[in-house]
Amino acid sequence: MDTLQLKGYALTKIDFIGKDVLSSDCDIIVFLLDNCEITIDENSVFFGTVNTADIMQSVILARARKFFDKINEAGFKDGFDSLAYTGMADFSHTTTQWKDLLSLGIVGVRDRIAEYEQNATDPAKRRFYSEILRVWNASLRFLRRAEDIAANAGKNKMSNSLKHLVKRRPLTLYEAMQTIIVYYNLQMFFDGTFLRTLGRIDSLLYPFYKDEDKEVADSLLVSFLREVDKLKAIANIPFSIGGTDEAGLSLTNDLSIGLIDAYGKAGTHNTKFHILYSENMPDIILKKAFSEIRAGNNSIVFMNDSVIIRALLKIGEKYSDAVDYHVVGCYECGGNGELTCSCNGRINIPKALEVALGGGKDALTGKQIGLKNDGIFPTFEDLYTEFKRQLKCFVDCAAKCTDIFEKEYRNIHSAPILSATYQSAMDKGGDLYCDYTAVYNNSSINAVGLGTAVDSLVAIKKAVYDDKVLSLDELRRVLSENWVNDEVLRLTIKNKYPKWGNGIAEADKIGKRIVDDLSEMINGRKNEKGGVYRLGMFSIDWRWYLGEKTAASADGRKNGDTLSQNSGATFGAEKNSATAHFRSVASIDAEKTPNATIVDIDFHSSAVEGKNGLDALISSLKGYFKSGGFAVHYNVLNTEMLKKAYLSPEKYPDLQVRLCGWNVLFSSLTKREQEEFIMRSKKG
Amino acid sequence: MNKGIVSGIKRMEIHDGDGLRTTVFLKGCPLKCIWCHNPESISYEPEIGRFEEKCISCGSCVRTCDTNAFFIKDGIVLFDKGKCTACMQCEKICPVFAIVGYGKEYSVDSLVEELLTDKPFFGDKGGITFSGGECLTQTDFVVKCAKRLKEKGVGVYIDTCGYVKRDVFEKIMPYVDKFLYDLKAIDGDLHKRLTGRDNAAILDNMKFLSDKKCAIEIRFPLVKGYNDGETEKIGEFIKRLNIGIPVKVLRYHDFARSRYNALQRRDTLPEGQTTAKDVVDAEEILRNMGIIVIKDN
Repeated sequence: MDTLQLKGYALTKIDFIGKDVLSSDCDIIVFLLDNCEITIDENSVFFGTVNTADIMQSVILARARKFFDKINEAGFKDGFDSLAYTGMADFSHTTTQWKDLLSLGIVGVRDRIAEYEQNATDPAKRRFYSEILRVWNASLRFLRRAEDIAANAGKNKMSNSLKHLVKRRPLTLYEAMQTIIVYYNLQMFFDGTFLRTLGRIDSLLYPFYKDEDKEVADSLLVSFLREVDKLKAIANIPFSIGGTDEAGLSLTNDLSIGLIDAYGKAGTHNTKFHILYSENMPDIILKKAFSEIRAGNNSIVFMNDSVIIRALLKIGEKYSDAVDYHVVGCYECGGNGELTCSCNGRINIPKALEVALGGGKDALTGKQIGLKNDGIFPTFEDLYTEFKRQLKCFVDCAAKCTDIFEKEYRNIHSAPILSATYQSAMDKGGDLYCDYTAVYNNSSINAVGLGTAVDSLVAIKKAVYDDKVLSLDELRRVLSENWVNDEVLRLTIKNKYPKWGNGIAEADKIGKRIVDDLSEMINGRKNEKGGVYRLGMFSIDWRWYLGEKTAASADGRKNGDTLSQNSGATFGAEKNSATAHFRSVASIDAEKTPNATIVDIDFHSSAVEGKNGLDALISSLKGYFKSGGFAVHYNVLNTEMLKKAYLSPEKYPDLQVRLCGWNVLFSSLTKREQEEFIMRSKKG
Repeated sequence: MNKGIVSGIKRMEIHDGDGLRTTVFLKGCPLKCIWCHNPESISYEPEIGRFEEKCISCGSCVRTCDTNAFFIKDGIVLFDKGKCTACMQCEKICPVFAIVGYGKEYSVDSLVEELLTDKPFFGDKGGITFSGGECLTQTDFVVKCAKRLKEKGVGVYIDTCGYVKRDVFEKIMPYVDKFLYDLKAIDGDLHKRLTGRDNAAILDNMKFLSDKKCAIEIRFPLVKGYNDGETEKIGEFIKRLNIGIPVKVLRYHDFARSRYNALQRRDTLPEGQTTAKDVVDAEEILRNMGIIVIKDN
């Protein structure tokens, strides 16, 4: 091991180690724990920052690379390259078992491994325990190193807490917070497995919080969030509040409120706040949360407890596990004990329609990425059936690509730190990834571009089959020419045809139908890990990348333009208010989307101002969730945003502003009115 | 009458009463307020508004118009409103938003069905606000809709200028949770100059609703240089009503100017601005007179 250099570490050396993935990962992690650079910022209240030069990430990528070759060999290259579908490993969306971690402490987790090792009779299990024990022993050495560095920096409180945590579980609020931050570092930067939630932090920290002086505790919460904000993370560090217990009682407490207040004061940019809503959640939580959103602290996502629980039950999770679900990453949910792989596969829904119309060919590259057909669809139903057949083909390909990686996890990645925190992994005596030892070893496929696909299908139905404005062949020509000779038709379809996100039955029916069909194809499909696939209906920023590879579509979209965002409307198509947008999205049976359905709702601050605005926001949320919504993200925009919208209106087509007596789309105002509105909004 | 003419429906409103509301704008108004910000609701008849700056000169409207109201001259699409029968075909076919139809016919059933779609979002406080125009001029239609909505458990507010006969209020009262009642001026001559009508019936009706203990929120649209001198007189009038009737001062703006142009309606909008400070000053005067002032959010 002494040949390993922290900086300039050569990836090829993995091959020289000549051990299996678990053992070589343990070697690397032990080396990093003993040698990495530890920095403590002079303003920090909590430990700290580590530099592991992202070695574990490089190792994972190097090992995974050869499986991309297998995807190419299996014939998926063209479809993968066209972003019609993708499928791969996912080590980036996990939670640890926070309750166990805080009750055992870092040292307790280590002691539990030692106990399992002593009692193990099976040689394979015994080897697993002794390998991860090496890592956890090194974790304690790492803590002692951190303790010394903190002491040398004159950080006595920090140093003392680290000293205690080497010996025992956390006993105070400060120690509990320190444990969370230490563990985050261990898993993210040494294990290389992304930790994508700090858990239900109000429930987790309450036993410590209730015994603390309130003023001290509230100040600590702000420091904690600021420290979390400084941690290196991919796409924010999420945490949750709320949820319900098995009896259905709300789990909110004083700390839930304290956390919202602290979030407002902390001014973080890198945290993400999941509020697990239930009907019995006190209104004060919603009032405070929306007040923060209106103040611009808008990385808050509301999650609908009852729908999420039923969605997890439907894929076979136990009630007690479903109730205790976690939210990782952006909005994805997994039951307690689930090793969440929420971003394995993706399918491009509008691309399935593109290949249905084009005999299975990618309209941009001409490559055969879907199934061949004769291109004759006498009725809309015939076309939909073919679209569904191509969609199924994409789903199969995404799953097969994912399977190629997932059946080889033992050759790609192990998680010695994370596995030790899972009771099921300890009981089964194997690694979470290499040996699939979680309670639920599920995988996920996310479908992107629902709004674009719905609008395109509605447009074809109306223009080709109902109104007979043009034939299907003429539409093929129009799309292949990227609308350049048919701008009036394009604008008519874009502006005047029924669209997803407006509460219009003919569009909403198609949206619901697509999700129902995807659910049949995906939910419950067996994966290579003894688990099942789960459907998600979100796009995040993939909509841009997938859009770039998607040809002009019948909704009036041009070659390469973005697809619709998440489960919501095509950008700018929702012209009938937020409630209509909610109604469309709630028409989806979200219990069939365990990996999330999410809608983004934007308002200008004037449209939701004052006490009445707060009441309206709360009742809109309750209405959406009562109608079966899964999750929602609200944005309240400000004057700065208006100025940008004025300069680049095409970027803000759905920005609503309060005129007087009604809300209008900012883009619908004349330039003079826009200028005046900006002027007035500045005066406030 | 089972049919109503609706100039627009706006959802998720927060300024037309309490909570989250859907506002229905009914067409037609007996007043002609010079500052009217809903000019599309003044006429009782359906009509077309043409927003010239948005026109892309595709000629779709010219081809579809049976009465030649749209025509091309020197390569530019022009609109002769006098020939327009408001059949709304051009609105449907215009690929952009250069043509907007105001005045869609609804039956009681179809409007109530449309309005109930947002019921899950109203919560405890929200509901429907009928506005306009003067919604109460379509008396039978509004009464029937309000009755049906109440039966469905949805709260109904009426936004009114008050210029209707007494019996109209008697008919609608049982189904109304709150009246949002405009008070523009107390001086009769001034009122007539600014709105085209005398205000005796308006003041009388408000007194009637107050005596009947109806829930009322008075709205005073403040237009600097026109009716700001009426503030104290309005305060005196409110003091003679039931105790506890609040007033909200609304700030005048001229955002409706483009719609006056689009409707080819004579633009009567005052040029001057009413500032936030003007509103605060008026509120202060009213508050000092012991009147409850509620902020427009």
